[in-house]
Amino acid sequence: MKKTISLLLALIMILALCACGQSAAPAPAAAQAPAPAEEPAPAAEPAPEPAALVVDTCILKEADDAMINNYSLLAVNPDAPFADADGNPVTDVELNTVGAAALINWLLSEEGQDLAANYGFDQYGEYLFYLKDGRPVSTAEIPAATEETKKIRLSTTTSVNDSGLLGYLLPIFEDKYGYEVEVYSAGTGKSIANAKMGNADLILVHSKKQEEAFIEEGFSYVLDGMDAERLNWMYNYFVLCGPSADPAGVKEAADVKAAFKAIADGKYTFISRGDGSGTHTKEISLWPEELGITADAESFKDYTDWYISANTGMGACLVMAEEMHAYILTDKATFLTFVANDGVMG
Amino acid sequence: MKTMAFSKTYGKRRVLELPELELPEGQITAVIGPNGSGKSTFAKILAGIERADEKKALLSGGSVGYLPQKSFPFRMSTVKNILTNGNDPARAAALMMALDIEALAGQSAKKLSGGETARMALCRILMSRYDLLILDEPTTAMDMESTLAAEKLIRDTCGETGCAVLLITHSISQARRIADRVLVLQRGELIEQGAAEAVLSAPSKEETRRFLDFYGL
Amino acid sequence: MGSSIRKAIELILSADPELLNILSTTAKVCLTSSVLALVIGVPLGILFGAERFPGRKVLLVLNRTLIGMPPVVCGLLFYMLFSGVGPFRHLHLLFTVKLMIIAQVVLITPIIIGVMETFVADTAPALRETTRGLGFGRIKEYKLLINECLYSIFSAYLLSFARAIAEVGAVAMVGGAIAWKTNVMTTAIMMYTNRGSFTLGIALGLILLTLSLLVNVVLSLMQGRLSR
Repeated sequence: MKKTISLLLALIMILALCACGQSAAPAPAAAQAPAPAEEPAPAAEPAPEPAALVVDTCILKEADDAMINNYSLLAVNPDAPFADADGNPVTDVELNTVGAAALINWLLSEEGQDLAANYGFDQYGEYLFYLKDGRPVSTAEIPAATEETKKIRLSTTTSVNDSGLLGYLLPIFEDKYGYEVEVYSAGTGKSIANAKMGNADLILVHSKKQEEAFIEEGFSYVLDGMDAERLNWMYNYFVLCGPSADPAGVKEAADVKAAFKAIADGKYTFISRGDGSGTHTKEISLWPEELGITADAESFKDYTDWYISANTGMGACLVMAEEMHAYILTDKATFLTFVANDGVMG
Repeated sequence: MKTMAFSKTYGKRRVLELPELELPEGQITAVIGPNGSGKSTFAKILAGIERADEKKALLSGGSVGYLPQKSFPFRMSTVKNILTNGNDPARAAALMMALDIEALAGQSAKKLSGGETARMALCRILMSRYDLLILDEPTTAMDMESTLAAEKLIRDTCGETGCAVLLITHSISQARRIADRVLVLQRGELIEQGAAEAVLSAPSKEETRRFLDFYGL
Repeated sequence: MGSSIRKAIELILSADPELLNILSTTAKVCLTSSVLALVIGVPLGILFGAERFPGRKVLLVLNRTLIGMPPVVCGLLFYMLFSGVGPFRHLHLLFTVKLMIIAQVVLITPIIIGVMETFVADTAPALRETTRGLGFGRIKEYKLLINECLYSIFSAYLLSFARAIAEVGAVAMVGGAIAWKTNVMTTAIMMYTNRGSFTLGIALGLILLTLSLLVNVVLSLMQGRLSR
């Protein structure tokens, strides 16, 4: 027993020493960060204050129609052609259709829409999501949860989850009606596959092509009072970010496609998500067609000197872009969080 | 006690081929012979640890106690626990006293030296009564003083309980000190047997003489 | 590192409810799965080590193969089996702590079997020779064998606990890292890393290591007492 206590004490002391030692000495990471790799920074520039990291990456191109990021809700069809791993049909997949409809109706109700539209303004001074004109609106009565309909499984993408929108909206819904929403977040591909395997009652994604394929295959259905399977009610913009010095001249480019061409022509470092996410899909569609960049690694093997396929989350890619003074396509919500946290993401 | 004739083969190699043997009760029969002569295999087969080719009972009956050459040390128990495991503590104390390990009673067996472990192992096998007691080199790890104490203990036990003792040993002087009878093994065969005194002082076989001479006796 | 350590201490001191939830889920999953694996693995390991029976060698080779199974493959397998379209869908176990425990038991049990088998195969023959020489029956023989195994049972447990607490592939796959429900330390670290919150990731990593250290200290002390 004595030994245990002394070991514990030693451990606490080591931790405390580390913490103290660190606050006395300047953070080595801070000393490194301002050293520019490519920029012709004037030598006279004194080292900036070492305490906070200053984010150099900034938004260079935004609100371009080619960069609209549409968010859609799709209820999973209980009569969808579910099939097991061998392709044999499975007819008795259990879905919580009542719960899914309740959540969708609430998100599309006046209350849900107001909350979503105003989300983020208090924190960032900017709106993160915009309501679409002609969006579906619901006035349907929302039933309170019962023992059978209580658990709602929502499959969504990491970028939606990382924006914090669901963490803000869902507790309000849960408190009011007694449901429990379990959020499964993964890349768009995995998230949709998860629903196709009967593990989600509804999906919230932002990749039109994949959503249409999902509907085409019969995995979604039209809810009562709605016109279509794909309930696209909200959007925001992807933004093209890069070093403030903007060596590729992206800011002056006529449109976003021209901006991407300028980056490719000048071989300026570009960080790609490379993980099949909605952001990745969008990015691929913006490169000049003659480059032939696709999600396939073979397609960019000649561009590896400037095109970096990171295969990781948005935040991790932003940290990378900041360190490498690289260009990057990101959703605005994640970028604003990144800047608000001085580029260390939490 | 009598043993049947038997043989033992590993693969194609015949390692042991023995005739019917007599193991008189109340007497110590020593088995001597050079390394690899099959002494330990003989002991194991009699003890039922290994099987002879014949696959039948080799002994005419009665209980057998066997102390292997490398007795398992039971590292996780104390000496006392190992000895009194279900048996009477008075006898354990007497045995420990005889081999001068009573001071180690409360110790974990893990901490014993080689000689102490060997003494503990001998005590343990002597805790129970058997009709035939097979001891495979019980004193090899002991110093001279302990060896003599152990020999006396074996002798006394044999006398008191009237059991037959089969003592495997590589020490001819040990055989001379405590054995009543001697079996000489060589290359898996019994080359000579008889009263200890006769075999060890005046061997009738040339091979036995060479073996005894080789060991400086 | 310094900022991460400070963050780790801050996090602990703030008693953030989500962190506490993650910690308790982690403890529940790791402790249950490692103990269950021990309960299943030790008898099997002793059996494989002490007995010779037909098919034993084949089973041992299979077991060694299972030791090398990547956690994510194990997770994927269970994900497919317990999915809404999988054969065990009616059990409703996907994305639950229960299934995370089951998947980890499948991952860890082979390690325990392997450790115990190696030790027992080394110990049993000499022990058996001695106990049979003493005329003991099988039950007494096994009692003594298990007593001799105590030390290595502890070692096996430490190893399996370490594997359970460090493992991420399987729990991420079958648990889905659902907040307040199946998110454990490793999946949370992965989530923060993907988000680029490296500092927070390392802070959680430090807390995980500290917990692991505490468990190891306690168990090592118990093991030390055992050997005295």
